[in-house]
Amino acid sequence: MNSQKIVIVIISLLLSSSLFAQEEQQKNWVLTGYAKSMQGIFNTEFPGIGNAVFTDNFLHNRLNFKWYPNNNWTFKAELRNRFFFGELSRIVPNFKESLKDGGNDVLNLQLLNIGDKVILHSILDRLYGEYSKDNWEVRLGRQRINWGINTVWNPHDIFNAFSFTDFDYEERPGSDAIRVKYYTGFASSVEFAAKAFDDPNKIVAGLLWKTNKWDYDFQILAGWAQRDAVLGLGWAGNIKQIGFKGEASTFISTVDSIDNTFTGTISIDYSFKKGLFLSGGLLYNASKNVNANLFAFELSARNLYPYQWSIISSISIPINPIASGSFAIIYSPVNGHPLFLNPNLTYSIAQNVDINIIGQILLQGDGNRYFSPTQVGYLRVKWSF
Amino acid sequence: MNGYNKCFPLLFLFLLFGVNTTVLAQEITAKEIIKKADDKVRGKYNQGAIRMSIIRPDWTREIEMKSWSSGDDYSLILITAPARDKGITFLKRENEMWNWQPTIDRVIKMPPSMMSQSWMGSDFTNDDLSKATSTVNDYSQEITGEATIEDRKSWEITLIPAEEVDVVWGKIKIWVDQKDFIQLKTEFYDEDDYLVNTMIAKDIGEMGGRILARTLEVVPAEEEGNMTKIEYLNLNFDDPIRDAFFSIQNMKRVR
Repeated sequence: MNSQKIVIVIISLLLSSSLFAQEEQQKNWVLTGYAKSMQGIFNTEFPGIGNAVFTDNFLHNRLNFKWYPNNNWTFKAELRNRFFFGELSRIVPNFKESLKDGGNDVLNLQLLNIGDKVILHSILDRLYGEYSKDNWEVRLGRQRINWGINTVWNPHDIFNAFSFTDFDYEERPGSDAIRVKYYTGFASSVEFAAKAFDDPNKIVAGLLWKTNKWDYDFQILAGWAQRDAVLGLGWAGNIKQIGFKGEASTFISTVDSIDNTFTGTISIDYSFKKGLFLSGGLLYNASKNVNANLFAFELSARNLYPYQWSIISSISIPINPIASGSFAIIYSPVNGHPLFLNPNLTYSIAQNVDINIIGQILLQGDGNRYFSPTQVGYLRVKWSF
Repeated sequence: MNGYNKCFPLLFLFLLFGVNTTVLAQEITAKEIIKKADDKVRGKYNQGAIRMSIIRPDWTREIEMKSWSSGDDYSLILITAPARDKGITFLKRENEMWNWQPTIDRVIKMPPSMMSQSWMGSDFTNDDLSKATSTVNDYSQEITGEATIEDRKSWEITLIPAEEVDVVWGKIKIWVDQKDFIQLKTEFYDEDDYLVNTMIAKDIGEMGGRILARTLEVVPAEEEGNMTKIEYLNLNFDDPIRDAFFSIQNMKRVR
């Protein structure tokens, strides 16, 4: 079984390289992607046990294949390949299983998951066909449905919420879904999307209405997410030169064991002439989280960040055309005063090669002391093609 | 984290195109020369492909893009290189701007302050270009001499900002070709009359049915070995583009 899958991966790799060799003329397909080396180190304090230092090392390759046989049809297949050889993949319990569950939806599009001490994993996280004609757009298959309108936190993102700490997977896993969109104007549309399910408790579906008025984008969401009915309102506009966005959802639970909740966020951003960019945001999460852990909480649109109140401020600074730095701070004014620090340095070493140094530092108090339970550092080298 | 940061530089390209005002030139004044030279590289509608190279003594980076525009108010830009940013688009409609990020399948509304964003680190500043149209309105123009540049006879025109106007440059000197109204050379001076940047037109020839400079080079006066080069890979003027083309739907479809 596995050998068949290895063959598929090898064929797709070979295919991609032979496609490269073809002439560019009249081509109706595109292959893009990247190869990354991720070398990370964790320092974590385990209560009652002490400190542990371990490494996270993996190679990450992504192949994005797009074929457009004519103006109406587009097909996409995107393959995510990773080779883990660090300590993290050996320490984390059920690491292999979590790769399968974390990347898949209802369909199993995992092609490879082999190895023991080192693991080779390959999964199709996009595989869909899209038909578009006039104002219609219909997409079927594994796809990303990204319904947020705000910058960092997205209470409308009921299909696939994004975690701020997961910086290396901006594409996010896909949903096996159908989406039908009708554009009613240059920045307005009505869309319906529904995810496939094999368990009625996992139904996610919704209607999203977008409109544009007074130089603002507005959106209204009505949907169903797992066991909640969801209603949401969001906007993106500006106050003078400052960007002003907001997004909120209320989750009405249909089961007694889960409380109703509300998630709301607003943010502002401003860009200075020389490229310096500032942003600030506030998140309110009415969910009652017990033992909130920033690196291991159940992420969803109803729980985007594990504390009741959180404030983010970030700055990004262009140093020169090939180097830039950024720094983000998230402070949660709750018990323990958790503080998340995220410095990032980017340097372009060649036209298509970028180096990133990324830090993630968590600070919090436990009543007796204020300390840093986790520090993470990554060196990433990325070649894009 | 902020997806649109790395790409905002391109915005100034909106500004390379745009604005079209008819000139009724009977007797050529300095103002009319500047206007004619301006109109030379603009049409009511523009479509084109551009390569921009930032050249430094130790490295070079290239960005390529396609762009569509209608008048001053509507434009759409598609990044085609570098590979990292390929497929990203920018849409501008009057006062609003959006950015499409294909990797995350999301359209991001951009703050208005980004429209006047500088092209970080390159030798173009956004203001050079965003206020290009203002060379007609915000400055007084005067023919101050004649010169031959690239074997072309040209007028030397000096622009001085009007007192009450807030502009970037203290003085601009432009050499305009007397035959084809090509802006052959431009010198930008600061308020203390120091030369800051020189823009030089190269590779003059036919493109999009007009005779124009297919390459522009901007060289800062104080930094040796630095240059920003813009090459027009193709240009098409005056093929009408409907306003509806400039939509969020189309941001995802252009290629």
